[in-house]
Amino acid sequence: MTSTADVVVIGGGAIGSSVAFALARRGASVTLLDASTPGRATSASAGGLWSLGESLGLGCGVILHTAQKGVGDGPAPLPRTFMDFLWASNLRFPSLAAELRTLCGIDIEAESATGLLYLVYDDEQERHASRIVEWAGSDHGQVERWTPQHVHNREPLITHDLRSAIHFPGDNQVNPMLLTEALKRGACAKGARFIAEARVRAFRCSNGRVVAVESDKGTIACGAVVNAAGAWGAQIARLASIEIPIQPVRGQIICTEALRPGTLRSNLSTRDCYILQKAHGEVIIGSTTEYCDFNTEVRYEDMCSLAAGAIRAVPALRNVTLKRAWAGLRPGTPDELPILGPAAELENFFHATGGFRTGIVAAPLTGEVVAASVLGQTPEFPIEPFLAHRFQFLTA
Amino acid sequence: MSHPAIVIIGGGPAGMSAAVAAATQGLACTIVDEGFDLGGQIYRKPTNPARAPAPHPRGENLRAEIARLAQHISVRTGDSAWGIFDGLRIAVTSPDEHTELLQPQAVILAPGAHELVPPFPGWTLPGVMTPGAAQILIKTMGVAPGKRVLVAGTGPFLLAVACQLVDAGVHVVAVLEASSRPAWLSLPLHGFRTPEILAEGLAYLSKLDRAHVPVRYGRIVVTAQGETELNAVEHAPVDAEWFPDNNRIEIEQVDTLLVGYGFVPRVQLAQMAGCNLELRPDVGGWIPVRDRNLATSVGGIFAAGDGAGVAGSLVAAFEGQLAGMTAARFLGAIDEATFTAARYPVEQELARLKPLRRALDKISALQPGLMSLVRDDTLVCRCEEVTWREAREAVCAGSTTYRSLKMTSRAGMGACQGRFCWPFLSRLVAAEAKCSLADIGPPSARPPLGPITLGALASEPRDK
Ligand SMILES: Cc1cc2nc3c(=O)[nH]c(=O)nc-3n(C[C@H](O)[C@H](O)[C@H](O)COP(=O)(O)OP(=O)(O)OC[C@H]3O[C@@H](n4cnc5c(N)ncnc54)[C@H](O)[C@@H]3O)c2cc1C
Ligand SMILES: Cc1cc2nc3c(=O)[nH]c(=O)nc-3n(C[C@H](O)[C@H](O)[C@H](O)COP(=O)(O)OP(=O)(O)OC[C@H]3O[C@@H](n4cnc5c(N)ncnc54)[C@H](O)[C@@H]3O)c2cc1C
Repeated sequence: MTSTADVVVIGGGAIGSSVAFALARRGASVTLLDASTPGRATSASAGGLWSLGESLGLGCGVILHTAQKGVGDGPAPLPRTFMDFLWASNLRFPSLAAELRTLCGIDIEAESATGLLYLVYDDEQERHASRIVEWAGSDHGQVERWTPQHVHNREPLITHDLRSAIHFPGDNQVNPMLLTEALKRGACAKGARFIAEARVRAFRCSNGRVVAVESDKGTIACGAVVNAAGAWGAQIARLASIEIPIQPVRGQIICTEALRPGTLRSNLSTRDCYILQKAHGEVIIGSTTEYCDFNTEVRYEDMCSLAAGAIRAVPALRNVTLKRAWAGLRPGTPDELPILGPAAELENFFHATGGFRTGIVAAPLTGEVVAASVLGQTPEFPIEPFLAHRFQFLTA
Repeated sequence: MSHPAIVIIGGGPAGMSAAVAAATQGLACTIVDEGFDLGGQIYRKPTNPARAPAPHPRGENLRAEIARLAQHISVRTGDSAWGIFDGLRIAVTSPDEHTELLQPQAVILAPGAHELVPPFPGWTLPGVMTPGAAQILIKTMGVAPGKRVLVAGTGPFLLAVACQLVDAGVHVVAVLEASSRPAWLSLPLHGFRTPEILAEGLAYLSKLDRAHVPVRYGRIVVTAQGETELNAVEHAPVDAEWFPDNNRIEIEQVDTLLVGYGFVPRVQLAQMAGCNLELRPDVGGWIPVRDRNLATSVGGIFAAGDGAGVAGSLVAAFEGQLAGMTAARFLGAIDEATFTAARYPVEQELARLKPLRRALDKISALQPGLMSLVRDDTLVCRCEEVTWREAREAVCAGSTTYRSLKMTSRAGMGACQGRFCWPFLSRLVAAEAKCSLADIGPPSARPPLGPITLGALASEPRDK
């Protein structure tokens, strides 16, 4: 079977679906290919939209940084452009939610007033928190220090053994699976074609261009290719003889039975874990950040320590029943920034991967800038900081 | 505590026999069973012996063997195995919320099966239950499940339960067997090597006859009715594919309906351990792939009994014995020659039991008509209260795998992880999406298998 499309997008996670939607919306003919691979990040994800918390290193990134750098000074924030990028992407959720609801009838459960609370337990974290708040400034809503009293007024279940908290007002949450499903269906409503179980096996190239994509569900002649294969992005690139430094970074998560919605109003982050209640009432507690190749097992010890971390923050969780544990593979990069835009090696090959810990919050804007870049338009956010090019010295 | 050489999950006929076989070779075994006593579904002891039927001699024999080998066998009843991690580490939680990681050198999975109940209008009404649940009420507590009871579904298990109800003084209105009478009449042709089982079946039939309980073949329940609880059941005759003839519906006034269409192997631990599975609808659905000696595809993990393919308590016991011996060989406790010699009689017994079992599987094989009972507003996932309309819309929009259907409709998202709904939901999806059950796949299995609290999980492990 051979068919044609202007653009073939590889990978049907949040990122690929968003790119396909943005392309279809711009009138391009798009084919989105996906394969079910254990460990797909989007369906494993917590769905936190923590544009500030994560770019300041206070989401689950805490775990990676503390592991790497020792507990000492704590995490260094990521570059400010990245924070701006995530912030701009996050701002798109309310209108995107409305658009997707109209287009395909799916409510992506984007919450608007939850906010993220980072809990500060000791002196060292207290010092660190002060630096973070100072660095964050006030361009992106008012990042505030909250007293324990203030925390308890809003979240009575949080531990009293607390120094303070940092409140990030715009950092809410979404349902990542529904977001992705809606983007996919929205793309199809705008004329895109979605092919499930179409694992990409090879590219046909000619004169420095990809001319066709070979998959388990047939060969598709194309004008351009977008690599949105998440943690498998390096493998897809390699099929086109392109090297990019994507590494799978495992995240394990545990999830409780449904509690009364509103039991926890805010998203919580601590040194040990993050905790958020989803729309249907389940509480999600994540997550580890570890390099272990493509292994997607859940470890007993990590489940135990996530549980202990959650009980420390919200003691009442002790009596709550655990429903499920799982793991996913984040597409990690050495500098923790995504890899977006044209590949230097092939004229019509584009990357949309490296979403790492923030691929969900980044999905709306990632879709926009990659689609614009594929179609030769000017992206609404500069794509330069995210070009694969920046790693040349690594892969040369 | 030192770690046992072998952990056996499940203390039914399969698990008990496995423990006896391995302990006889001097290996230290631990049996984990979440029930309050050994015995499994069939040989578990009553809590109220005065009012319950007499214990089964085969079960008592196994119990005696276990007691004789007490030096080598430690029994952890009440404890639940909820996860198996990288290889052979098994997480076990006790009723007092203590969690422990057992790290044996071999694992025998013998977790049995659970009952299969199809969704149909009214199936979630109070008063509708499984034959197994009714049996537990009678057997362990000496309590009658209701006053006027209708038993429906397929398989000899229905007859066994109906007899137990009769013995308990319950009025059984009728037994409805979905398969046709001619199909059942052909059974003796396949059972001449297992006359004792045929005799058991005939004994059930004559007891029901004496008690004036009609056994009506080729009929299924199409709806259960009642406002807040069951008060009537509609049933109809079916064709060879179990499609009901709705012009010939009969109504029965009852307060209790027992529905069971066979059993589904509990494969979740095997799945978590990474054992390859295969689809075998004839023995209950997805089962672990096993070699001749009952070794799974993962080194050191063996599987026996109904949990590895539904085949009844006799097969379960022989399989348990074989798995126990294979584990002993794996651990070097017996040599190849001894193993081969000991295997021979067990294989002979398994071969003897096979023809009747095959014939039973064929007679009771689920037919597509059973799936036609579901209406738009019928719940297809009880945990998340998802109706067939909601699930079907998700299927039509392209969600034809367990994962994507779960995400878009929440069917299978609940605590049971699709264990109860998926055997039927996957068939409905296959019919709707015109794809095969194998394409759709089993529900994924994630720890924890049963409910455990965060507190139990965070408890300091006794053993590091
Ligand atoms: C435990 C965990 C929690 C997280 N929490 C958050 C959070 O709270 N907020 C946030 O913003 N981010 C979070 N993330 C990160 C976020 O989930 C990821 O960055 C994002 O999902 C990446 O999306 P993706 O589409 O690039 O990758 P994926 O969702 O992994 O999609 C890639 C797709 O490509 C497919 N594919 C692979 N190879 C091929 C091939 N050869 N052919 C065809 N298809 C192929 C895969 O099967 C997959 O479907 C979390 C991640 C994890 C693991
Ligand atoms: C409800 C029911 C009623 C039955 N009644 C009859 C009958 O009346 N007559 C008849 O001939 N056959 C009956 N059968 C069939 C017969 O019981 C089985 O064929 C036989 O018991 C299979 O033996 P087994 O050892 O494989 O599994 P089982 O006897 O089912 O034993 C499995 C054991 O494993 C335990 N277990 C499972 N998972 C875990 C876990 N994760 N952690 C700890 N423990 C676990 C269970 O508690 C159970 O005790 C019945 C089956 C069922 C399901």
